Amino acid sequence: MGKLLTIAIGSAFINNVVLSQFLGICPFLGVSKKVKTAAGMGSAVVFVITLASAVTSLIYRFLLVPLNITYLQTIVFILVIAALVQFVEMFLKKKVVSLYNALGVYLPLITTNCAVLGVALKNVQNSYGFVESVVNGFAVSVGFLVSIVIMAGIREKIEYNNVPKAFKGTPIVLVTAGLMAIAFFGFSGLK
Amino acid sequence: MKNAVKSVITLTVITVVAGLLLGYVYEITKDPIAAKAQETKFNAYRAVFPAAADFKEAAGADPSKASEILNASGFTDERIDECLAAVDSSCTPLGYVLTVTTSKGYGGDITVSMGVSSEGVLNGIEILDISETAGLGMKADTDQFKGQFKDKKVSQFNYTKSGASAEYEIDAISGATITTNAMVNAVNAGLVYTGSISGGQNE
Amino acid sequence: MSKVIERLYNGIIKENPTLVLMLGMCPTLAVTTSAINGVGMGLTTTVVLVMSNLLISMLRKVIPDSVRIPAFIVIIASFVTIVQLLLQAYIPSLYDALGIYIPLIVVNCIILGRAEAYASKNKVIPSVFDGIGMGLGFTLGLTLIGIVREVLGAGSVFGFKFIPEDFPTLTIFILAPGAFFVLAVLTAAMNKIKLSSGKGGNAVECDESMCAGCTMTGCRGRSVK
Repeated sequence: MGKLLTIAIGSAFINNVVLSQFLGICPFLGVSKKVKTAAGMGSAVVFVITLASAVTSLIYRFLLVPLNITYLQTIVFILVIAALVQFVEMFLKKKVVSLYNALGVYLPLITTNCAVLGVALKNVQNSYGFVESVVNGFAVSVGFLVSIVIMAGIREKIEYNNVPKAFKGTPIVLVTAGLMAIAFFGFSGLK
Repeated sequence: MKNAVKSVITLTVITVVAGLLLGYVYEITKDPIAAKAQETKFNAYRAVFPAAADFKEAAGADPSKASEILNASGFTDERIDECLAAVDSSCTPLGYVLTVTTSKGYGGDITVSMGVSSEGVLNGIEILDISETAGLGMKADTDQFKGQFKDKKVSQFNYTKSGASAEYEIDAISGATITTNAMVNAVNAGLVYTGSISGGQNE
Repeated sequence: MSKVIERLYNGIIKENPTLVLMLGMCPTLAVTTSAINGVGMGLTTTVVLVMSNLLISMLRKVIPDSVRIPAFIVIIASFVTIVQLLLQAYIPSLYDALGIYIPLIVVNCIILGRAEAYASKNKVIPSVFDGIGMGLGFTLGLTLIGIVREVLGAGSVFGFKFIPEDFPTLTIFILAPGAFFVLAVLTAAMNKIKLSSGKGGNAVECDESMCAGCTMTGCRGRSVK
């Protein structure tokens, strides 16, 4: 139990996926203009990463390792993730319409979110078992959710600020991200 | 319908060809990769035990018992990957070289190789695998840090933030106490293990 | 011939993937702790990009439209794995330095983006040079960021230290926040150049439409499937 807690806190805050691992930067910069959309994107990511961690962990352990083809992991994982996203989308559309309405539009964007593949590969690299992989996946994506929502909150305020012309748009967002990364350093004392 | 079949066939063909190609590349790179890993390890062994001519299976070193010995001394996050006897050209044992991995690094596992002479002197350490933060924890892989362990005969090391004054004290890397702690623990675990097996031989 | 030069110019200057299109941000920020890592990542990506552009352009009439995205992904992932194995076998130092970001080249927006936007519609030779141009543009961007971070953060360039050993350096530029700051200033500089030259008045901005390179391909592939 203690180990799971360490993994969870470490992945969510100390080694924050966006601010210290630089995974999923694209949606972090692209879909963080409004808190509402950011929260939607973040939740969809939590959903997909947790599920993908579980599935890839099982495939790795019961398919790739016994067949001795672990070198195929990248290609297998990315296909599994793409298929998974597709299935989740179809399933939600048919069965859980309310959730689909909330998350649906963000799902297609997730396949190319490198955080998903990144987490799957990290789970293998750290030789996490099934439960650890799922906990790690969940924690990483919660870290993503937290940082993208904070970012969107700040950006909504920046709208009204007088930013130098050259810094308008992406540069000021990057400066904000840098300051957030410094703030997240504070969490490293937790370890 | 005809289109769907064609799509499926094309995709299958591409995937199968890709799989076969990867299998082929894997086969030809498998040996060089293994050889490189072996070479890196032995280069590190030579660096930490320059007096040795060769490295042989160590008598009395039973890897399956290693975790027991370490656990008994409180090293639960360290493991001994390998322990070989360092011998001179006439096959006289001079000491041990070993590979120790600790999982307590900031960025995951750190693997260290170290050489310990029969008198218990730590000849030196090298880092085989490390993924700490660039600019902070990565400073563990500098001669300035690794040199502090060199040629010392102590039973256990300790790190300090206020300037090392005693033989057994190691200056912590500033801003990377976790990495320092992991490194010191790995070395200490190695020392405990060599102490236990060389002690066992004398009996 | 002019087509070839046009492609190179387009990739390196006009549509520079790092500084103008803002694509492939993850490796851009993550591995540029030193100039040499920037070069290594850039060239590795270039190799994958050129090979995938070549093959996808050759197969552009064979691959049915409805399965092209999965087909592209398989091709790209295969090349990435091949490059990964070769690096591990023959350039292990680079393999260690780039770590998990090598397999992540698969999801680098630039590669799928170029496959979709250019290679799948154009002849082989221009596609290859499109890959070379884009790859070198990416390498240029990464190297630039790597140099700035290494100079400020470690006082060295390509590993050569030019300040006294115990001189204090601004370590923060090697750490995560430094990556964001350096990229922020570089993109601001690009904006400044654009603004003062008067053409293309729009500031560099990465919003939903800007990240189209990565997101759109995902969406469109899905809707036709």
